[in-house]
Amino acid sequence: MDAFLQYTVQGLAAGGFYALAALGLAVIFGALGVVNFAHGSFYMLGAVASAVLLDVLGIQFWAALVIVPILMFIFGIIIELLLVQWLLKLDILYNFLLTFGLSLVLVDLVKRQYGVSGLPYELPAGLGGLLQIGSVEVPSYQLFVFLFALAVCLVVWFVLSKTRVGMIVRAATEEPERARALGINVSAWVTPVFGFGVALAGLAGVLAAPFRAITATMGTNFIIILFAIVVIGGLGSVLGAVVAGFLVGLVEAYGQGYAGTFSQVLIFVLMAVVIAVRPAGLFGRKEAV
Amino acid sequence: MIEIHGLSANYGEARVLNDVSLEVHQGEVVTLVGRNGAGKTTMLRSIMGLHRDLSGSISFDGKPIEKWSPNARARAGIGWVPDDRGIYASLTVAENLTLPPVVHKDAWSMEQIHATFPRMRERRSSMGTQLSGGEQQMLAIARVLRMGSRLLLLDEPSEGLAPVIVQRIGEIIREIKAQGVAVLLVEQNVKFASTVADRHYLLSQGRVVEQLSNDDFKAREVELLEHLGM
Amino acid sequence: MTTTRSGLVTVTGFAASALMLAGCAGGPPPAPESDLSNDKVVIGLLNDQSGVYKDLSGPNSKVAIEMAIEDYLAEYGDQAVVTEDQIEIVMADTQNKPDVANTQAQQMYDRSNADVILDVPASSAALAVAEVANQKKKLHINISAATTELTGAACNPYTFHWAYNTQMLAKGAAGVVEDGGETWSLVYPDYAFGQDMVKSFTAAVEDAGGTVNEAIATPFPNDNFSTFITRAASTDPDVIGTMAAGGDLINFVKQFNQSGVRDQAQLAVGLMFITDIHSLGVDEFSGTTFTDAWYWNYDEQNREFADRFLDLTDTRPSFAHAANYSAAYQYLDAIQRAGTDDADAIIEELEGLKVDDVFLRNGEIRAGDHSVVHDSYVAKVKDAADVEEDWDYEEITATIPAEDAFPDVNPNCSM
Repeated sequence: MDAFLQYTVQGLAAGGFYALAALGLAVIFGALGVVNFAHGSFYMLGAVASAVLLDVLGIQFWAALVIVPILMFIFGIIIELLLVQWLLKLDILYNFLLTFGLSLVLVDLVKRQYGVSGLPYELPAGLGGLLQIGSVEVPSYQLFVFLFALAVCLVVWFVLSKTRVGMIVRAATEEPERARALGINVSAWVTPVFGFGVALAGLAGVLAAPFRAITATMGTNFIIILFAIVVIGGLGSVLGAVVAGFLVGLVEAYGQGYAGTFSQVLIFVLMAVVIAVRPAGLFGRKEAV
Repeated sequence: MIEIHGLSANYGEARVLNDVSLEVHQGEVVTLVGRNGAGKTTMLRSIMGLHRDLSGSISFDGKPIEKWSPNARARAGIGWVPDDRGIYASLTVAENLTLPPVVHKDAWSMEQIHATFPRMRERRSSMGTQLSGGEQQMLAIARVLRMGSRLLLLDEPSEGLAPVIVQRIGEIIREIKAQGVAVLLVEQNVKFASTVADRHYLLSQGRVVEQLSNDDFKAREVELLEHLGM
Repeated sequence: MTTTRSGLVTVTGFAASALMLAGCAGGPPPAPESDLSNDKVVIGLLNDQSGVYKDLSGPNSKVAIEMAIEDYLAEYGDQAVVTEDQIEIVMADTQNKPDVANTQAQQMYDRSNADVILDVPASSAALAVAEVANQKKKLHINISAATTELTGAACNPYTFHWAYNTQMLAKGAAGVVEDGGETWSLVYPDYAFGQDMVKSFTAAVEDAGGTVNEAIATPFPNDNFSTFITRAASTDPDVIGTMAAGGDLINFVKQFNQSGVRDQAQLAVGLMFITDIHSLGVDEFSGTTFTDAWYWNYDEQNREFADRFLDLTDTRPSFAHAANYSAAYQYLDAIQRAGTDDADAIIEELEGLKVDDVFLRNGEIRAGDHSVVHDSYVAKVKDAADVEEDWDYEEITATIPAEDAFPDVNPNCSM
């Protein structure tokens, strides 16, 4: 029973991290209809940026939590204006291929600059050690990641569901042409939303730096799990991404606890089951005919 | 208010509008009548800027707007009520109403909206598509009124609705007209059209084949119904 | 320089050159007789130029081979059977994929006329190249791959395994058991390498009188190990041994350190390179035990080599760099003795050769399975406070004598 509780806590902690990382992917797909294959690379850039900021400028974790997402936001805006926007009117496949290519380029650029062995990063001060929760011991940093990710998800949910900005994004997501005909300059919103999604990926990267290997390829496997999450949650659904993130975290932890090697396979079994029962995902809407 | 000259529109190889000219003046309700596929909806989409493959001129308030984006046209005062009503499922009723920007000083206030459409207040927290078809139609109209549009493009507002609701929509159109708003109405319901409109354009295979006053229109109702295949 | 060079000369090499010098005494030395295919010696360097093993060997191995060439030419001077412009290095990337390695090896042997292919990390890629070498009857000296298959079921007359293997990596475990780490939990990636390592480690631990509580399989690659670590700790072992490598190893160690298990159990790593410690930082690894094939700061001879290497590359050599140097040098030295680059003649020179150089201590090129046996080391990662300079990460706590590190001729090998 203790083991089960321990696995549950670990699953939730991992789930929070997955939810945060998948959130940006869902937002970008929702608002732009772009299947952003480069999301894993943006996540990687966030982690690499934290390590470089620490190494070169001595900027610590806490400051990186603010600075890196801002840098990634700007980077996202540049990518959107330079590349992504030109393909938005074409088939969804074009931007998929573009972002796929972009991720290869980013990975190789980082390899070229920082090598392949990975970069060092220190656990932020005050977040080492363990916390005792009932009969379960949790690393403080895991707990922090969980709470932080949860808070970010709540803020994003609040902004999207309760503010005028969120209302416009939702409308532009659901039916962009109609929003234009109602006097909303959808194009002007699309760019910052893309930047925001990229910033979220970068933020996940900062959180990953202390407990994941910081290498050029750290996002290459990660993106596969993130795609599974957004498919399970329903493409473009923010709530779906969060719920599916936690689900996947739990499935992975129980898988590691009881099924060993199959822990990753189980994630995709879950995905297959969800697709079979609800093709649009847990919270996805059926495509308008 | 709006003048259209020599408008032609294509869908790929097919020409759906052919050298169409029409105008709607302030405070006037004009209908476009024609069979399915005559080009009525394309006409409205062309005015809104959503159909781009076209030639000819469109001027609104004396300004040429052919090159304008849809949102610029909306902000200039053209309000679109699409045939599927265009209610957002992910927005509440209140959000659907307040989504578009207010573009004119004569825009309806929330109080006016609620007075005319009391259901909009009662159901304001419901998600948009939880409303009945008639309510969704009311919401779509209320939305462009709150925006302050000076020209309403109504695409078959009576379609699929109970007679009592169609009647209510008629009343609302007359009220709008009284405030000096222009309405371009696409309708297949000849009876309904004749109760609200001043003039009618008869559209066939992408061309305006006839322009009728409402009296002529009523007089030739049977013939027109036959033309429309009803 | 002098000490280095003298240290590099093999016993037999000495004898050969002495004989040659004696023969030439009395007049200006004539150009020595040589019979080189295509009139040149082409050394193929086939390794990972862009992936996880790039820092371990990668492009810097070319520098190590160039150093070997330089030392060979300096050693034999006018008497060298291969002159400077007769030696060529060709380099290619396997991307650690067996199919790519196969194609690149064929091209190197056929089109670039490579006489020998060095390095080839990743076991599957190495096995592919060994197969090609056997078909083409050209040499392959493997440096960076770990599998014992190369000197086992897949052994062949044209393939040598120079630096290390999974069996040798497990030998360090015996030292840990003797120091009181008696009960073990092993966590391993579930593919050929990991399974191989678990077998070797279990044998090594049990031979030393320890017990392995459980061996936990994990997916490969894998980012999140937290629950696997909890499971490994649940049997309360003295030592948790991880067989993860590369990025997975870094993930494992970071999460292990945060898990609190670090205070309950010691960490032993199956396969770790100094580049891993460098990338993650010595703090994360401090106290970790592993088996090393060579360490740059072990003695004066190694350090001298490492200083030369540092001047050329801005980084310290890994054991793979030193082993590439050693293999290239011994290969050229064999040509010197044989007077030809003919593969079969070189094999005859190398087989059974006892050799000492900067990399090989008490080395012997075992004829039975072409495994190159040499002293290996039990290394412990230093505490950050004890690190005196960049790359000064390891404390060598014990030497594993060559005959213990590579005990028997692999019984699965028949040439």
